[in-house]
Amino acid sequence: MTAVKTTETAAPAGSVPPALPPAVTGGARKRRRGGAFDRALPYLLLAPALIAILWLIGFPVVSVFVTSFRQLNLGELVRGEIVWTGFDNYVTVLKDERFWDVTVRTIVFTVAVVGASVLAGLLIALLMRALSPWVRMVLQITMLCAWAMPILASATVYIWIFDQTYGILNKTLIKLGFDSFAGHSWFSSGTSTLTVVGLLIVWQAIPFLAFSLYAGAVGIPRDLYEAAGIDGATPFQTFRAVTWPEIKPLLMMVTFLSTLWDFKVFAQIWVVKEGGPSGESTTLAVLQYLEGIAKSHFGVAAAVSVLMIIILSLLTFQYLRRLLQTQEGQL
Amino acid sequence: MKKSVANLTGLLLAVFFAFPTYWMLASALKPKGTLLTSSYDLVPFSVTGVNFVTAWTKQGFLSSLGNSLLVTLTAVVASILVGLLAAVALSRLRFRGRKSFLMLMLVAQLAPFEALLIPMFLMMRDLQLYEHLSSLILVYFAVTLPFCAWTLRGFVNGIPVELEEAAMVDGCGRWGAFQKVTLPLLGPGLVATSVFAFITAWNEFLFAKVLIRSQDRETLPVFLSGFQTAFGTDWGGAMAASVLFTVPALVFFLVVQRKMVAGVTAGAVKG
Repeated sequence: MTAVKTTETAAPAGSVPPALPPAVTGGARKRRRGGAFDRALPYLLLAPALIAILWLIGFPVVSVFVTSFRQLNLGELVRGEIVWTGFDNYVTVLKDERFWDVTVRTIVFTVAVVGASVLAGLLIALLMRALSPWVRMVLQITMLCAWAMPILASATVYIWIFDQTYGILNKTLIKLGFDSFAGHSWFSSGTSTLTVVGLLIVWQAIPFLAFSLYAGAVGIPRDLYEAAGIDGATPFQTFRAVTWPEIKPLLMMVTFLSTLWDFKVFAQIWVVKEGGPSGESTTLAVLQYLEGIAKSHFGVAAAVSVLMIIILSLLTFQYLRRLLQTQEGQL
Repeated sequence: MKKSVANLTGLLLAVFFAFPTYWMLASALKPKGTLLTSSYDLVPFSVTGVNFVTAWTKQGFLSSLGNSLLVTLTAVVASILVGLLAAVALSRLRFRGRKSFLMLMLVAQLAPFEALLIPMFLMMRDLQLYEHLSSLILVYFAVTLPFCAWTLRGFVNGIPVELEEAAMVDGCGRWGAFQKVTLPLLGPGLVATSVFAFITAWNEFLFAKVLIRSQDRETLPVFLSGFQTAFGTDWGGAMAASVLFTVPALVFFLVVQRKMVAGVTAGAVKG
């Protein structure tokens, strides 16, 4: 409730609550002459942000739905024609077997990447508590470096590490005696390509997850663990009875956030293999780009976007519901 | 005994996280001709700066670096300014519709921009901004604004309003109190927020690829994504370019590393 309290004390003259310390009312009285201005002030301050959000986010959201009901290819775009086609674009998309392949692939990929990164993030967060300070410091610095690396830089490095002939990974595997990896191409199938992309994403996603969860884990009161120790709990029992309930809300939040982020990944997939070979690593975000921008089928691509938005909205709604539950009174 | 197992695991993980960064740097420092060989050299035998010169003087590198800086910095400054105005209103003032505005910021922060690619493309085309850097500035401004407003609101909330009131008792106007008391205290928050906004825009690839097609206007991510056209199999040059691309982000990251988690989770996660 602190947020509400501070806003009340700084409120414009019209809505000053009765029980203010005299100093505050004194201050407020001085400013009272601009009554209309004071009342308008919050809206004036919010106007630029509101206009920007409505124009640059609100309008495109409406527009994507409208576009998805239009036949809009390069011809119509150049001529400026408006051709309504009802649900034709959706029929085209939903009847296309490729769309369902891509959707299933996107969901499997997202679940795998989110699952792996959240689990690894949690384990590393718990491990960090057990480390000597200097090891923890080293680990944190290396994680910061991974986190800070721009996506395009890290993707380029991964392509180089996984290079068919001169990549350090194949060289190392050969050195270790796995001669079959001589000239092995990691990008020759969709599954293998997506595994490498997934590793890249997980590698860069873990730092945020580990740092957040570590911050949460450090905040758990020590006496809870002492009590568990006195009761003779095993490490696993301690985790289940003490750590898990304390960290679960935070874990849910970062899982939702990760899902929202990983579902729409484009850059890494595109840079590594452009959704190939032969479309086998194409996800919904890539499909939308290929249909819309590469082939100029804007109406069909908009239908794909709408389907993405629907899936993401369901996730976002769940996330917001939980978020508002945990911080009631914050709004 | 148990501690040493944990420490060993921790160090192995550190190697896992550091290796790609290390490998980027090591490859960038290796002399030409030693990269595309079957020799096994985890540590460079000899070191050279020639790859950095190659990358720096590569056709398109400097212009894309300039474009990236221009687009990113303009968008971040705009987001911070507009976001700060909104944050102050949402944190310090009480008015009708405040909750709705907060809700709007929260939802806008989670807006799936990648799924708005098609309407954004069409809109920029209608506005005659297609192929102009200003289209990217607008998109990055929109992407970072809700985050900036929301996060800055958290930072403003953290500054006791009593300090402002004290200044007002001492004769400051509301603007004076804000400028002399709140703004200086907000410094670290402003820095942390702008770094996050900077990194978001610095990284962005999809819109940079779609909205800009001519080579002299492309940004660094797009330049780097075409490294195979630019560098061929010159991995040393590509790695040097990646290093140069990473340095600004890394420097900014280290500046705010303490605020890092708090910054990302301030509005989003902490109850």
